[in-house]
Amino acid sequence: MLVMKDISKIYRTDTVKTHALRQFSLFVDEGEFVSVTGPSGSGKTTFLNIAGLLEEFSSGVYELDGRNVSGLNDYDRSILRNEKIGFIFQSFNLIPDLNIFDNIDVPLRYRGFKSAERRKRIDSMLEMVGLGSRAKHLPSQLSGGQQQRVAIARALAGEPRFLLADEPTGNLDSHMAESVMDLLTEINADGTTIIMVTHEPSLAKRAQRNILVHDGRVSDAEPQLHLAAKSA
Amino acid sequence: METGPILRALMHNKTSFILIALQIAVTMAIMVNAIGIIQERSIQMSRPTGVDEANIFYLKSVVFNAAANYEAQITEDLDAIRNSPGVRNAVMTNTVPLQGGGWSSELQLEPGVDITGTGVAMYFVDEQGIDTFGVNLIAGRNFDANEINWHDFETNDWPPLGIVTVGTAEELYPDEPAEAILGKTIYVNSDEPVTIIGVVERMQAAWNSWSGVERSMLVPVKRGSSAVRYVIRTEPGYRDEVMPQIEDMLASSGSDRLIRGMETMADTRKQSYLEDAAMVKLLTFIVVLLTAITGLGIVGLASFSVARRTKQIGTRRALGATKPAILRYFMLENFIISSTGVVGGAMLAIALNIWMVEAFNLQRIAWYLIPAAMITLWAVGQLAVFGPARRATNVPPALATRSV
Amino acid sequence: MFSYYVKLGLSSIRKNPILSSLMVAAIAVGIGACMTVINIDYIMSGNPIPHRSDLLYHVQLDSWDPNDAYDDPDRPPDQVTYLDGTALLAAGEARRQVLSYKTGRVIEPEGDDLRPFQADSRSTTAGFFAMFDVPFLYGSGWDKNADDNEEFVVVINKEINERVFGGEDSVGRMLTMNGEPYRVSGVLDTWDPMPKFYDVTNGPFNQVEEVYFPFSVSIAHELGSRGNTSCWRPVDGDGYAGFLGSECIWMQFWVELHGENERQAYHAFLDAYVESQKALGRFPRPMNNRLNNVMEWMSDQEVVDKDVRVLLGLAFLFLIVCLLNTIGLLLAKVTRRAGDIGLRRALGATRRAVFAQYIVEAGVIGLAGGILGIAMTWLGLQGIRVLYGELDFIARLIEMDWAVVSAAVVLAVVSALAAALYPTWQACAIQPASQLKAL
Repeated sequence: MLVMKDISKIYRTDTVKTHALRQFSLFVDEGEFVSVTGPSGSGKTTFLNIAGLLEEFSSGVYELDGRNVSGLNDYDRSILRNEKIGFIFQSFNLIPDLNIFDNIDVPLRYRGFKSAERRKRIDSMLEMVGLGSRAKHLPSQLSGGQQQRVAIARALAGEPRFLLADEPTGNLDSHMAESVMDLLTEINADGTTIIMVTHEPSLAKRAQRNILVHDGRVSDAEPQLHLAAKSA
Repeated sequence: METGPILRALMHNKTSFILIALQIAVTMAIMVNAIGIIQERSIQMSRPTGVDEANIFYLKSVVFNAAANYEAQITEDLDAIRNSPGVRNAVMTNTVPLQGGGWSSELQLEPGVDITGTGVAMYFVDEQGIDTFGVNLIAGRNFDANEINWHDFETNDWPPLGIVTVGTAEELYPDEPAEAILGKTIYVNSDEPVTIIGVVERMQAAWNSWSGVERSMLVPVKRGSSAVRYVIRTEPGYRDEVMPQIEDMLASSGSDRLIRGMETMADTRKQSYLEDAAMVKLLTFIVVLLTAITGLGIVGLASFSVARRTKQIGTRRALGATKPAILRYFMLENFIISSTGVVGGAMLAIALNIWMVEAFNLQRIAWYLIPAAMITLWAVGQLAVFGPARRATNVPPALATRSV
Repeated sequence: MFSYYVKLGLSSIRKNPILSSLMVAAIAVGIGACMTVINIDYIMSGNPIPHRSDLLYHVQLDSWDPNDAYDDPDRPPDQVTYLDGTALLAAGEARRQVLSYKTGRVIEPEGDDLRPFQADSRSTTAGFFAMFDVPFLYGSGWDKNADDNEEFVVVINKEINERVFGGEDSVGRMLTMNGEPYRVSGVLDTWDPMPKFYDVTNGPFNQVEEVYFPFSVSIAHELGSRGNTSCWRPVDGDGYAGFLGSECIWMQFWVELHGENERQAYHAFLDAYVESQKALGRFPRPMNNRLNNVMEWMSDQEVVDKDVRVLLGLAFLFLIVCLLNTIGLLLAKVTRRAGDIGLRRALGATRRAVFAQYIVEAGVIGLAGGILGIAMTWLGLQGIRVLYGELDFIARLIEMDWAVVSAAVVLAVVSALAAALYPTWQACAIQPASQLKAL
């Protein structure tokens, strides 16, 4: 479903040329739970931005859901992002002035769904993450774990092709981190593809497969216990 | 359009909202009332006097030889002036429209001391008066030369004929057309009858803010005294050339007298409305300055508000907002804030106007100024927010993934 | 600590030059607008004769039309008739009194090269000069005898003295007016009461008259008023005599009274006088006599232009807009400096200390805004001069004195402090911890 072939990303300044990604290739099938790990500076954030259509790349091919995304302008990329990708950020990135309901509503509005459709989706998402009763609350009134669950609900509400998670438990204590990872595993079990970027090996173990990134390249891609993860 | 969420978000972050809305409201209140005053004054200033302003000038002749024969001097002067090249006509009279000083008396429909009269401005003229002032006789006739009498300070009785303006006729007989006053008799000085033989379209009185400024009467009297005013009408275009010539001619005519106070009708108008004209300019300047300050203020506050939400903008972009969608968001947010501002402003403007009408006797503003100001301030707000909103669209979606 | 905060304030201004200059500019423009109008209002409503203004009283008698008040709703005429003025003068019930009116004379200087010219004149009784504390360069006014004997004396002003006598001490010399010689008894020094309180009916901001001569002489010459003459009923008799005996109002009558007792006594006298006239068939209106001292009279006659008051209201609202801008700018500055504030709090600054620092900073900005505002005020007043320049008295209205200058600075500082209250309160609410993570 997601095909990256020999993706390179070069940042140029007047004096320096930095290769953030070199010949990076990745294939992700539908329904997989893949983790991308590496030390800081390894290029995993660049990978994340490119996979999430947040940045353009210098060379290579990226096909998302069968569609080649090279040469797409900013407008089309935005629309594609909205339809196909669900983001989960390390610091939740909820909009502080909006209540939970309105936060989940944001990507749905960009999608153009009608009011009734949006309400249906938001209500069902809130149910799913167990926050149905807190719809009118502001993010500041929720714990870290609850905020991340809202972010997950926001990411899923539009039925994206895959979730792109960036250190989803980085700002959570171990107890909340567990529950969030449980939720992600559950979502994956229901059929949603998940690509998770993290620097913590213990988290990476929760995925079915891990890709190591080092110096902008893929190192040994270790196929992990597929079957073990799927049945969990 | 995301009106609901924008409103709810504004509720949680009231500061920018209130500051911009308040600025717009106060600006609107000032703007509406200032423009109201500008309108009122401009209308006042544009009223025609009814006389040939472009070609009329006047001067005063002050004789200081107590033994002089005033009548002879005046007759001699008028002949000389009327026969000068470039002069169309001249008349000796007490004042001119908008001069600021003049004579008014009360006219009554019935004789009697207890009857309420109507104040009317008096112009003492001879049969050349109408032509000299260039006023328009729309009914009846002018005075004949033999109907003009010489009066001096001693004479108290009033001539039996008069010519009034439409304004006077309409005030005395409001239910009839102005021309109907022809032949009627009205009373001056309580019981002296005056028959109206002519109606002039318009000749304003000397006081521009007087409620009776359109009420004048021409009286067939020449008042001989030591200080007299000559009003002179030149042929079109000759005024400036003729003025010094007449002044010299009169001043050097050998008698013991001074010529002073020579003015054009055009300058008289300017002087009369000087304060109004200045007020208009001043208020216009204030309105423009105020709009600029408010506009710049909104630019500043909007920039600040956008900069504060960079992370949020990045997140929205990551979630799929296109650049136009971001622009629309901020334009819509500003529109909502401006709307609150102009609604508040409308109420404030009306309240301010009510107070000013009470306290300073100003006029009520025309209703359409309110929607006009609303539209203007909406436009100013949208224009002001456009820059910061466009900057917002340039926030990269990748910002969302940057840590903190 | 205060000087430390001042230092901090100044350095903060230097570190945020754009924001700070915008704030100073916003305050300066608002102050400039306000103080320009306040200056004009202040001068127009100033006391023209402060050391005597509560001793001098303007007299009004309601001799007007029974069917119609002189001025709505029920105000008596602003001038008196010849009959009443002379009667009150003769009665002499007040400490001092003066009856006068505005007229004109033609001065004929000696010598063929000097042309005759008109001079604004005032026909007055002797009391004028002492009552109104008129300054003399040479000589003095005349006395009651001169009034009674219809002496041809004259007091001229400095400019006429220059023009006719070359500026010398001309007391005792003769001046020909309208063909007759008058003896100069005094030359006035510069005299510029603002407003011209003793005759507001005929131009409250005009210059004072150039030439003064006795009332009795003027009447003997059958001179009329160059100011307003109003009559509610036609003149009965013939000629000037008829005019003098009429109900036409054309002169001003002032008295000098010290203390409340004298005022009440005089008011009672006026009432009694009117009663006696009523018995003769005059004064058909109800008793309505007025005694106003200088400031009361100025207020009653609404000497300050209505336009000035309107502009005052608008200028204050303008200042509010400028202040709203300032609040916004201060908020922006506080947000930008959030890190600094958090750090200071972490290092032990109390909320009060943060408050003090930012209030003092606002005060410094206010001070700068006030000083710049003085320049703006000056500009504004020059603009007024350009706009209204043709009005003779404008030059006097645009003079700034120390009171106005100080007021500008005080207003600026107070406004800046008021505007700073909300942003500073916000600054104090910043939690130390929340900002440290961001650094």
